[in-house]
Amino acid sequence: MPPDGNLETLMAAYQGGDFGAATVLIEQLSPKLHRFFVGQLASRKDADDLLQETWLLIHKVRHTYRVGEPVMPWFYGIARHVRVNHYRKTSRVALHEEQVEAPSELPAPTPEIPGTTAEMADLLAPLPESQREVILMLKVEGMSMEEVARATSSTVGSVKQKAHRGYEGLRERMAAMRLSQRRRGGLS
Amino acid sequence: MKEREIDEVLAQAAKDAPAVSRAVLESIAGSIKPLLRPVRPMPPAWLLTVSLILVAAAVALAGAAHAGLYGIERLTVFERILIFPALVLLLWAAAAEFAASMVPGSKRRVHPGVLLVLSCLVLVGVFAIVFRDYHTTHFVSAGIACLVGGLAHAVPVALLSWLLLRRGFALNPVAAGAVAGTLAGLAGVTMLELHCPNFQVLHVLVWHIAVVPVAGAAGALLAWALQLRADFRVR
Repeated sequence: MPPDGNLETLMAAYQGGDFGAATVLIEQLSPKLHRFFVGQLASRKDADDLLQETWLLIHKVRHTYRVGEPVMPWFYGIARHVRVNHYRKTSRVALHEEQVEAPSELPAPTPEIPGTTAEMADLLAPLPESQREVILMLKVEGMSMEEVARATSSTVGSVKQKAHRGYEGLRERMAAMRLSQRRRGGLS
Repeated sequence: MKEREIDEVLAQAAKDAPAVSRAVLESIAGSIKPLLRPVRPMPPAWLLTVSLILVAAAVALAGAAHAGLYGIERLTVFERILIFPALVLLLWAAAAEFAASMVPGSKRRVHPGVLLVLSCLVLVGVFAIVFRDYHTTHFVSAGIACLVGGLAHAVPVALLSWLLLRRGFALNPVAAGAVAGTLAGLAGVTMLELHCPNFQVLHVLVWHIAVVPVAGAAGALLAWALQLRADFRVR
């Protein structure tokens, strides 16, 4: 992972119109953003679409990044906005057109690819959306509490609370999974 | 199960997640290339905050000067020292929060709802200490005139603030609208404290302070309506 300082320099060059810097940013950050969408229960196709939409928005609002500020919360804040907006629009239009029953929260589609994709999504699926995104940013992407707070437009205290609750949920889920594995092992 | 074990499981799951395809990366780079030109970054947060405070103060002062500075003339020095620094402090908090809400990844100090409630509570506290006239005359008619006057000054502050931050991007437009409304409402209260000579406790507590939640709610509602309209327009 490149240091944030490097990303800052690249971001400044991107704002200056340097296509090379834009390409390097796309190469370095897209896998992380894609993983963020996959971990939020998006199918691979949805994750690809959301990633493209995110980069178009990043490009449109690139002037809002200020050199000297942390880069990762800026990118993840926009990615999070795209994801929330995407599902909100889908839900609203679906409700308006009365084609499908509107879900009470963000839809949680079953991952399309069995195996690898399903593992991370399945693991995080029982967590509420707000805890899931905090766990993904903190533990999978290695962001600091402060960075996650900035990305989610909340406070460090709120992030700590969500992370703690998310971990409790994961602990229970993993313990239950282990127990069922042991039972199956005992039966066979 | 220990936290370290959960971390390991998550790290492994992240490693196994599907990689983004080269075709997608090339498509993204290709779509950006023709649109690429240099852009001017947003000004620093402190500059935006100071500009917003100046806009709010200028509108409040101009409005009160136009209508007559009867309120501040009747206040004692001690009362002025209590009221106006409190208003400036609240204006600073709202301006800083509004500037932060228009720049992704900014540090957030207070939730928009908390800011709105806190602003009202601080004003209730200050006004309860300063004003001692417990009579109520022309409660509704005088009150509505003040509410309308306060809101009439909140509108230009909201418009000028939006103009100042039009290059920004709100990740949560409804929250940004609520904060902008709170800032504009506080400017309206400032104008009323400079202008209104009615020092009856109930009048000030109800009708002057009401400008803040009404403006805050109007800001949030307007942002929500615009967002809704944009959603359907995109489809």
